Amino acid sequence: MEKLLNELSSECKAAYEINCDMETDVSIPDHLKRKSDLGLPNAAENDLLRHFTNLSRKNYALSTAFYPLGSCTMKYNPLINERIAKFESFNMAHPYQPAETMQGILEIMHGLERDLCEVSGMDAFSLQPAAGAHGEFAGLLIIAAHFKAIKEKRHKIIVPDSAHGTNPASAAFAGYETIPLKSEPDGSIDIEKLKEVLTKDVAAIMLTVPNTLGVFEKEIVEISKVCHENGTLLYYDGANLNALMGFARPGDLGFDVMHINLHKTFSSPHGGGGPGSGPVGVKSFLEQFLPVPRVEKKDEKYVLNYKKSKTIGSVKAFMGNFPVILRAYIYIKALGGDGLKNVSAQAVLNANYMLAKFKDKIAVPAGGRCMHEFVLSPKAANGIRTLDIAKRLLDYGYYAPTVYFPLIVEEAMMIEPTETESKETLDKFIEILNKIIFEEAVNEPQKVKDAPVNTPVARLNEVEAARKPTLKWK
Amino acid sequence: MDYTPQNKQDRQKMLEALGIKSEDELFDAIPADVRAKHLNISGNQTEQELLKYFKNLAAKNKTLTSFRGAGIYDHFIPSLVSEVTSRSEFWTAYTPYQAEASQGTLQAIFEYQSMICALTGMDTSNASLYDGATAVAEAALLAMRVSGKNRILISSGVHPEYIKTVKTYLQNLDVKIVLLDISPNGSIEKATVDAALDDNTAAVIVQSPNYFGVVENMQVLSSAAKENNVLFTAVVNPLSLAVFQAPGEYGADIAVGEGQPLGIPASAGGANIGFMAVRKGLEWKMPGRIVGQTIDKNGKRGFVLTLQSREQHIRREKATSNICTNASLNALAACVYLSGWGNEGLKKLADTNMSKAGYAFHKIKNIDGFKAKFENSIFFNEFVIETTKNIKKIDKNLIKNGILGPLDLSNHGKQFKNCLLFCVTEQRTKSEIDKLIELLAKA
Repeated sequence: MEKLLNELSSECKAAYEINCDMETDVSIPDHLKRKSDLGLPNAAENDLLRHFTNLSRKNYALSTAFYPLGSCTMKYNPLINERIAKFESFNMAHPYQPAETMQGILEIMHGLERDLCEVSGMDAFSLQPAAGAHGEFAGLLIIAAHFKAIKEKRHKIIVPDSAHGTNPASAAFAGYETIPLKSEPDGSIDIEKLKEVLTKDVAAIMLTVPNTLGVFEKEIVEISKVCHENGTLLYYDGANLNALMGFARPGDLGFDVMHINLHKTFSSPHGGGGPGSGPVGVKSFLEQFLPVPRVEKKDEKYVLNYKKSKTIGSVKAFMGNFPVILRAYIYIKALGGDGLKNVSAQAVLNANYMLAKFKDKIAVPAGGRCMHEFVLSPKAANGIRTLDIAKRLLDYGYYAPTVYFPLIVEEAMMIEPTETESKETLDKFIEILNKIIFEEAVNEPQKVKDAPVNTPVARLNEVEAARKPTLKWK
Repeated sequence: MDYTPQNKQDRQKMLEALGIKSEDELFDAIPADVRAKHLNISGNQTEQELLKYFKNLAAKNKTLTSFRGAGIYDHFIPSLVSEVTSRSEFWTAYTPYQAEASQGTLQAIFEYQSMICALTGMDTSNASLYDGATAVAEAALLAMRVSGKNRILISSGVHPEYIKTVKTYLQNLDVKIVLLDISPNGSIEKATVDAALDDNTAAVIVQSPNYFGVVENMQVLSSAAKENNVLFTAVVNPLSLAVFQAPGEYGADIAVGEGQPLGIPASAGGANIGFMAVRKGLEWKMPGRIVGQTIDKNGKRGFVLTLQSREQHIRREKATSNICTNASLNALAACVYLSGWGNEGLKKLADTNMSKAGYAFHKIKNIDGFKAKFENSIFFNEFVIETTKNIKKIDKNLIKNGILGPLDLSNHGKQFKNCLLFCVTEQRTKSEIDKLIELLAKA
């Protein structure tokens, strides 16, 4: 067990030191002074390096294992991105330094906006949102601003029950009432059911294409037509864009607003849960509402424009998560348009190859073909649940797929291999998953229920954690 | 180049296993008339070519010696921080959904939460938010949830981009945002808060040191809010808390801020980290991930994401926030940063900021044509100077000399016409400060 920092703390010399090259002359009036102890640990650099290195070894990561986490697009994060992101002239830049002293940064942002427009079929992007859900929120504010501008009162957003949880949460956050739409067993939308809820007060419908069961929405053109005839806009959740690059563009499918998760489709790393980047894209009639500042090109120079009278405002401070944006742009410049198309082709091929190996033995609610990911509903012998299978996969060194999502599938297990895994890796994983479900669950169920045993800790008590919360050092 | 490892033969075998001739068949569901045409995107560069290409782009930026803060600061980052955050076991992991396989990330965030609580004197910290601006917006929403009221009082000394973000976040909700004016001495008076409070007020939000560098009398302002049962939200610079009164000491209900000073590079203003800590009793209303300690089935200590029934993946439209991905890797950076100074070291670091800023302040205000805007105020590492000189000319001349000078506050309202916001951190040597003074004197 790795000690906590406060347990590691001793009377030793601290790791970092600061010298002041002038007299320190500080006087703080007593009523503004801190009185309580700071309560920080005291540890030497050597001990801290060991502490954090040992902690890192308790993580499964993309760099240590196959990470088939559905909806998260855990593709390889190219090392060249990291190398370039460490350049001093990128990471020392101040957001308020004059535009003429950061032309490189602005050129990258401008270039990425342009390339995202080309991939998505949108007309303009803002790179300001810091994550997918943040981009959704910005997109919904843009939709609200649009209806305000044309003086229409619409206070509802339709969200299919197969959608990511962020969709209804973002809608509520933006002040909308969420109207759930029951999706079909394969996650797709039934036009007639849609029409039933598509009233005049519906501002937008939020769709994930391919949907969270990995199925392309085949009626999308009709859905788009029906919605637009009602004056309702279409929002595209970009979490699954990795399936479509070079094959279909949300803008061409009829979507008006979308976000892209740069930390999914465009290879920026996830960092254990951020920082990410969720650019929001729109068709031209909505461009005036995009967050500020906008990066603009004037007379061959790039400038930041904060003065846009119709803008929704700012969804965070400054321009956006530049290090994440930079990595995405490096990735695009490595691949180019044809490379990106090949990414989606291979991602979809990998997923279908895996699905083909499972579909005759394990229930697949969405059928035998998929896009970049698929959802199994494994009902193993002896009451072995999906959670048990997931934990057993950890024992074999794999990170587990997304489990119990989407909510419309019983015992869901959502697998997304991405394009950066070899056939050999896929074959091995297929073999192990089959072994767990069809051998171990049948012959040694207790072993599966007791999993994991090869991880730094055994199965953790989540109920107790929430019942009696310990949220910091004692 | 791309990063797909399959060779032709493997690809062929996979196609055969599916009984198809080409991947294109897998995209049959996409109607022909909406198929994408060729993507007109340049690229196809090798690693070697990319390096050159981006070196050229990097060369179009100027790296300057910075006397500019205003929310993003040039602080020294110890080598250990980037060593740890560069470990791929951390940066290539996802949000720690499978706790048993994510103990590294989870324990680090638990330690981060512990140190944020220590620094702020608050009871519970979350795992991070996007940045300082969104943390303030989330704090306003939290106060509204807790109080059931919908009027927010916010100091006009809060960072202007934070105020803008709060307004953006709340624009479609039934809420009234009231800006509190700062007095001629650069701070918020208790009387201003008292006059603005009413029965429908959910929160008073005050930043200290404020955007103009002035340390507020938070104890008095917090008491004013609490006497009226209004939640007091402190927006704080975490480094300043090594020496200045902590939110927990003056009874704040919510403490938020920008964590960038804690070992995170400026990076043109992002990616940052917003921190949020609350007093006991508010934890179930907090937005964002929270890590908790628990035991495994053998009784061994371990860490998990907890209080999850607040969150979007469970509560959907009833969640406390829509936040999912946050700023985990920067929380790790802040954790490593805070773990290596020790109490005395962090105090000395804060003192060094104050000493250097103080030195610069006294010298600059005595230059002909320059004077202190808030003469008797207490500040940490930022201060405002009023000048009769041509600000644009000064700025240009400093840049010519490799210096990013103070921020021009002229478009910040009449009160700040001809005003400059300086920042001096521990990064600036005495000779750099003297050079700045010399150039200003010649202006």
